[in-house]
Amino acid sequence: MGHHHNTKPKVISRREMLGLSAGGFGSLAFMGLFGTLPFGCKRASHLETASNLYLGPHYLPKAKNVIFLYMDGGVSQVDSFDPKPRLAKENGEDPRKKFKVDATQFDNVGKILKSPWDFKQYGECGMPVSDLFPHIATCVDDIALIRSMVSNFPEHTNANYFLHTGSGLQGRPSMGAWMNYGLGSENKNIPGYVVLDGGLIPPGGLDNFKNGFLPASYQASVFKAGPEPVANINPREGIKNLQEEKLQFIKQMDDSLIGKIGEADAVESAISNYELAYKMQSSIPELTEFKEETEATKKLYGLDSDDPHLRGYASQCILARRLIERGVRFVELTCPNVGADRWDQHSNLKVGHERNAHAVDQPIAGLLKDLKSRGLLEETLVVWTGEFGRTPFAQGSDGRDHNPSAFSMWMAGAGVKGGTIFGKTDEYGYRVIENEVTVHDLHATIMHLLGIDHKQLTFRFGGRDMRLTDVHGNLVKDILA
Amino acid sequence: MGLILLLNGGILDNPPDIVLFLGRFHPVVVHLPIGFLIMAILLQVAARWPKYKPLTIYIPLAWLMGAVSALIAVIFGYFLSLSGDYDEDILFWHQWAGIVLMLMSFGCYFINKKWNNSLSVPKWALVFLVGFLLMFTGHLGGNLTHGSTYLLQYAPNPVRYMAGLPSKVEPRKKVAVLDSADVFLDLVLPMMQSKCVGCHNEGKKKGGLLLTSYAMMMRGGESENTIVPGDALKSELVRRITLPMEHDDFMPSEGKLPLTDQEVVLIKWWIKIGAPSNGFVTQLDTEKALTSLVSNYLGLDKNNLFNKKVPPPDQAVVDSLINRGFVINPLMKDNYFIDANYSLSEYTLEASDMDILLKLKEQLVWLNLGNSKVKDAYLEKIGLLQNLVKLDLKGNEISDAGIKHLSKLENLESLNLYGTKISKGVLELVPQLTRLKKIYLWQTQVTSENIAELKKENPGLTVIYERE
Repeated sequence: MGHHHNTKPKVISRREMLGLSAGGFGSLAFMGLFGTLPFGCKRASHLETASNLYLGPHYLPKAKNVIFLYMDGGVSQVDSFDPKPRLAKENGEDPRKKFKVDATQFDNVGKILKSPWDFKQYGECGMPVSDLFPHIATCVDDIALIRSMVSNFPEHTNANYFLHTGSGLQGRPSMGAWMNYGLGSENKNIPGYVVLDGGLIPPGGLDNFKNGFLPASYQASVFKAGPEPVANINPREGIKNLQEEKLQFIKQMDDSLIGKIGEADAVESAISNYELAYKMQSSIPELTEFKEETEATKKLYGLDSDDPHLRGYASQCILARRLIERGVRFVELTCPNVGADRWDQHSNLKVGHERNAHAVDQPIAGLLKDLKSRGLLEETLVVWTGEFGRTPFAQGSDGRDHNPSAFSMWMAGAGVKGGTIFGKTDEYGYRVIENEVTVHDLHATIMHLLGIDHKQLTFRFGGRDMRLTDVHGNLVKDILA
Repeated sequence: MGLILLLNGGILDNPPDIVLFLGRFHPVVVHLPIGFLIMAILLQVAARWPKYKPLTIYIPLAWLMGAVSALIAVIFGYFLSLSGDYDEDILFWHQWAGIVLMLMSFGCYFINKKWNNSLSVPKWALVFLVGFLLMFTGHLGGNLTHGSTYLLQYAPNPVRYMAGLPSKVEPRKKVAVLDSADVFLDLVLPMMQSKCVGCHNEGKKKGGLLLTSYAMMMRGGESENTIVPGDALKSELVRRITLPMEHDDFMPSEGKLPLTDQEVVLIKWWIKIGAPSNGFVTQLDTEKALTSLVSNYLGLDKNNLFNKKVPPPDQAVVDSLINRGFVINPLMKDNYFIDANYSLSEYTLEASDMDILLKLKEQLVWLNLGNSKVKDAYLEKIGLLQNLVKLDLKGNEISDAGIKHLSKLENLESLNLYGTKISKGVLELVPQLTRLKKIYLWQTQVTSENIAELKKENPGLTVIYERE
């Protein structure tokens, strides 16, 4: 945290926190940390020097929550949502004779490679979707597809940081952290930014989900795949009082430390972590047991599947819905480890993409339908994207290399115009030729749907009012309902 | 002059395209003499000061450039006038003022060139006259292009009085409710004003047609059948606006903004019902076929609620709701509309909570009482929260008896009744919720026949009632 010492992170000090809250240890209202301050509640005066005092949306939001379905590794656009018949016609020909080929990561440029999958049109809008996603295809009328995404980085780690934090370098706050900083979380007992780890943490690691220069409490809490999503969630002490007394003692010691050294983000955030952890011991088991879920619901998501990876992703999707229902602001799902790498098929495209698609397709469609019928899709933005696309020509004989010059992503739910297709790539799906959308534009648009003006949500760090979109970002208005 | 006389020989009635083509350059070329002549006048005046004396040698050149460009403008202007699209009266004065101006500019050139220091009085008189004529001719030209009411349309009333014009016409008040919408004043006339009168006005009268008032529209233009009351398809106006855009006769011409599909439908309907000069849309539209179209066209289906400022909520009321387990959030930075959510509360909702909510009825626009043990009786008070836009009642034991209290929620756009006991009561409720756009009815006792009826009776409504 050495690079922080020149600035004073904006946190509510322990004393102010206690002043704001009422009641004893177990019932502390930590709205300053894990939720907005109660409406109209004043922040301590020294915080008012911060440039951004107002918490809450700048204008009437469309969405309250985000579910971010992260397709780690880079789904191939020409094999999923951007059909290119020309690839079939020129299959096996030398791409260098057709168009200028940029340097690729592995410099192993093969022939033009047609998609192994057929495309069909779906829904009232007639959006073409490949046979990789037969279930998602049934939801196209709720989906706004962008075919003209570009990234600044051709390599996973930087591209992951860029997509998550708006910067290709490590250390900036993740968009989930920004949204919790801007809007707070509605639930006092669950963190406002949760990553549901399906098995693969993207390259770049947990720094994709960090708070950066924002107060430490805005970083993501990573819930693991499997029966115990949060480690040590069950108290070890047999007697309830024993745990409370232990915590009380730790708190006394911490308090005396703070009395000596003054305010310190690290200590204060640690204290609040203990307190939140205590509350999570009762809130998490209730959350992760799917007792109330009907058989029909479980089946819809695919919990009855033979594919263990599909089952795993299905429970992540159900959990995502349950978190949203409990007012968690930002939920990110990472990919399951299907045994054929993430979506990063440098070789063996057919097998790898098929396994990944099989694991996520039905759960995602189930999620969209379930959210819609419960009225939750109206206030939840579902975002599906990878960090970049793949080349229309082969890497070697049967893979595809990274392509930051064009990729497809989609959003569904609150405030987006279902059934729309925005942007256009060339006849090979290699480059964007119309309505380019940058990662900054995407961030600005996501924030807009949550009622946040990306230019107004700032945090002073290193002498500058920092933004998720830095000095960039234009709204993609054509996909807004 | 010689050229003009020559042209008078016979091509007047049927000018070749090349003439009209050049004529259309008149509005461009005409700005050259305007600039040069103003510059000449300013040079003439400035050179009187010793400091600017050296400018004197440029004065003849400025006059010459002004005069020659005026000659070209006159010729092109004459070509343009051959199209015959202009008011003849104004055209006569514009044309002759322009010709005189051009001649006088040459006069100024010769005076300055030959008799620079001797003819002081006539020279200044001429310069002054050129200045005056320049304004006069330009003004008439503007009237020809934009219509004579254009310049002073937004002038302050005292200025308008000086020009002998009446006070500004107060724009017709924007229609607030559909029942007060007049078929001509609120639908047809505004369409004409925004899309048609740019060319069909008193000054320009393209095709001899004026679309500035009801009487003029009915009189028609060169074609007798501009509007045939009762028969839209025989009306030339309808034919012109429905042709393919590439067609020569398509209106509005020259790539001007065409009428929207909605506007075409409305015009056709107006003519079909006999092209009345007035009358309320809702009374004329006996079959109610156009109700939603008209309200959409007039912007009446948009919610005005968020345009008004509401006072800050009472802090004590907000605190008491928070203490009861409500999550209260602001919804925008520059207004005090709020969102209240009880679905995460660890307490049990009580009837008294409804009374507290009522104290926020101005500010409260989103309310989530999902899975909160709401009872039918509570809905009586909920029904008084007049500004609610979103209401979430999912997972509560409420029935038709309860939701009938919601009928006065005129701002409601989204109503979530998923997992409740309601049944065909929605059929009565929904038509009363005029702004409702979405209703959630999955896992209720509403039957598929009810759903079919609901969809049929409320075509604009999104009904979500199934999942798989």
